[in-house]
Amino acid sequence: MTHPLAQPSPTHTAGAPRRGAFALLPALALLLGAVTLVALGSGRYPLNATDVLRFFASAAGAPSLDPERHDLLYNLLVEIRLPRVLAAILVGAALAVSGAAFQGVFRNPLVSPNLLGVLSGAAFGAAAGMLLGGSWLLVQVSAFACGLAAVAIAVTIARTFGQGSLIMLILGGIVSGALFAALLSLVKYVADPYNELPAIIIWLMGSLASVHIRDVLWVSLPMGLAIVALCAAGRWLDALAMGDDEARSLGVPVGTVRYMVIGCATLLGALTVSLAGMIGWVGLIVPHVARLLCGPGHALLLPASALLGASFLLAADLLARSLTGSEIPIGIVTELLGIPVFLLVLHRARNGWGR
Amino acid sequence: MTRGQGVLRGHGLLLRRAQRRILDGVDLALAPGEILALLGANGAGKTTLLRCLLGLLKPHGGTVSLDGTSLATLSRRALARRIAYVPQAHVAPFPYSVREVVGLGRLPHHGPFAAPGAADREAVETAIAQLGIGALAGRPYTELSGGERQLTLIARALAQGARILIMDEPVSGLDFGHQMRLLACLERLAADGYGILKTTHHPDHALACASRVALLQEGRIVADGTPTEVLTTDAIRRLYRVEVEILRSPAGRSAFVPAG
Repeated sequence: MTHPLAQPSPTHTAGAPRRGAFALLPALALLLGAVTLVALGSGRYPLNATDVLRFFASAAGAPSLDPERHDLLYNLLVEIRLPRVLAAILVGAALAVSGAAFQGVFRNPLVSPNLLGVLSGAAFGAAAGMLLGGSWLLVQVSAFACGLAAVAIAVTIARTFGQGSLIMLILGGIVSGALFAALLSLVKYVADPYNELPAIIIWLMGSLASVHIRDVLWVSLPMGLAIVALCAAGRWLDALAMGDDEARSLGVPVGTVRYMVIGCATLLGALTVSLAGMIGWVGLIVPHVARLLCGPGHALLLPASALLGASFLLAADLLARSLTGSEIPIGIVTELLGIPVFLLVLHRARNGWGR
Repeated sequence: MTRGQGVLRGHGLLLRRAQRRILDGVDLALAPGEILALLGANGAGKTTLLRCLLGLLKPHGGTVSLDGTSLATLSRRALARRIAYVPQAHVAPFPYSVREVVGLGRLPHHGPFAAPGAADREAVETAIAQLGIGALAGRPYTELSGGERQLTLIARALAQGARILIMDEPVSGLDFGHQMRLLACLERLAADGYGILKTTHHPDHALACASRVALLQEGRIVADGTPTEVLTTDAIRRLYRVEVEILRSPAGRSAFVPAG
């Protein structure tokens, strides 16, 4: 073409393509592996990374440890530390992926997984379960069910009043979130102030201290499936970010994709609350950091968010259990850590939500 | 891939919204190699008609067909390979690079679960080169000017491989130079056999760059023909309720100016 149409402004720097972007995933996986080793080695009985690696090598068949030491390490690593480490990885990845997916589907980088009320609903469900003096299982199931119910209410409001438009979904989420926040206050008010109320409040701050390996394995399947499904929908999310009409004209089944993404992200959010209580900020800040590293394309952003979120929550849990002699609820740690990270992201992203 | 002729035809399109007839029996066809300019006052139903022709909106009556096949029977993905939509330049929520935005045009080809292949990358680079935006390819779409964003969206439509381009006010918000360059680009695309339907608020742009003009008034096509047949001072007065006169340049170009 003889006359180029665009006249690039002279000030711009020729942007480098996001070269080596896919090398980022192995790098983030290595980071997660390193944080996992540190987390497994840390605690009252500290171990260095070589000890941890040697134990797993011997567990895999290489007989390099004497049986007594093997039994000690088995108790320490597999029975005490591993459930907690796995839970942190799962919850961190789930929160970060559901946050990134929500931000994509709602075309807004400030959206958190709680937009449609899933965390508020789950918090109420857990508190109500405790009030009823239920078993641990009842609390978890009730948290999960109420999280789904909150989002179902938001979606029903949107479909009834606004043909399921984006803005009505957001308003429906505000209504649903407010409803469950009020119900949670009611539960706190009627709870016995000496036993139940402190238990509810501590639980709502989030903790990975009391997870059982059985629960972790139980939720890992639906969580893993939902994370994989969201990662697979990455290219659809890119088209969806351009607007409904454009996405449709690019061949995307907009309604199906939107509800599939909301469904998976809701499932993830509700499962994290039932496993570990309320853990804020991860779903908001981790996708931002990931976007700074790998750009906005969701095909890469979602898996990168999963790996980064897992590392972040693992590190936060490490701080939560090692900063002081007793535990700090992890929700407090993520909030305290999240604020400086978010300020850093804002500083980097002043010009557009950019790289 | 057999493309057929690529004739998009709306027949007897009827669309009501809250008792009001937005489209009231619209017949409109677009053939390859044509630039059809659709003019109408605000609220005349231009955007609604566009959305019907794109298959985004199901009309309450009438049919839209592509080479005789009803759009309703085509899958969204098949449709996306035949008809491309070029919206008004907008702001994306995330800083996708120009190359990534153009690459979205390949989504109907490689599908959502596969990574783009060599053919897809080539189509993207060809489309970028065709619009002369190679220098912008690595820049974030969010940092571009309105004109550059519009060019990116047209490049995406070309990468889509569709031969029918439906454009919603492609030159609105562009400076004079960008407008003229963009209109020249549309003429080159039509010469290559693309069928282009564009809405416009400027009768002058329809005079300058269109092989056919259709006037939409209160949900009906009130005139459809060559620019010189359709765009008379009378027609403009009826459509926009303003008095105009037509000026002709020595080179044979025409433009409307306010009368009196």
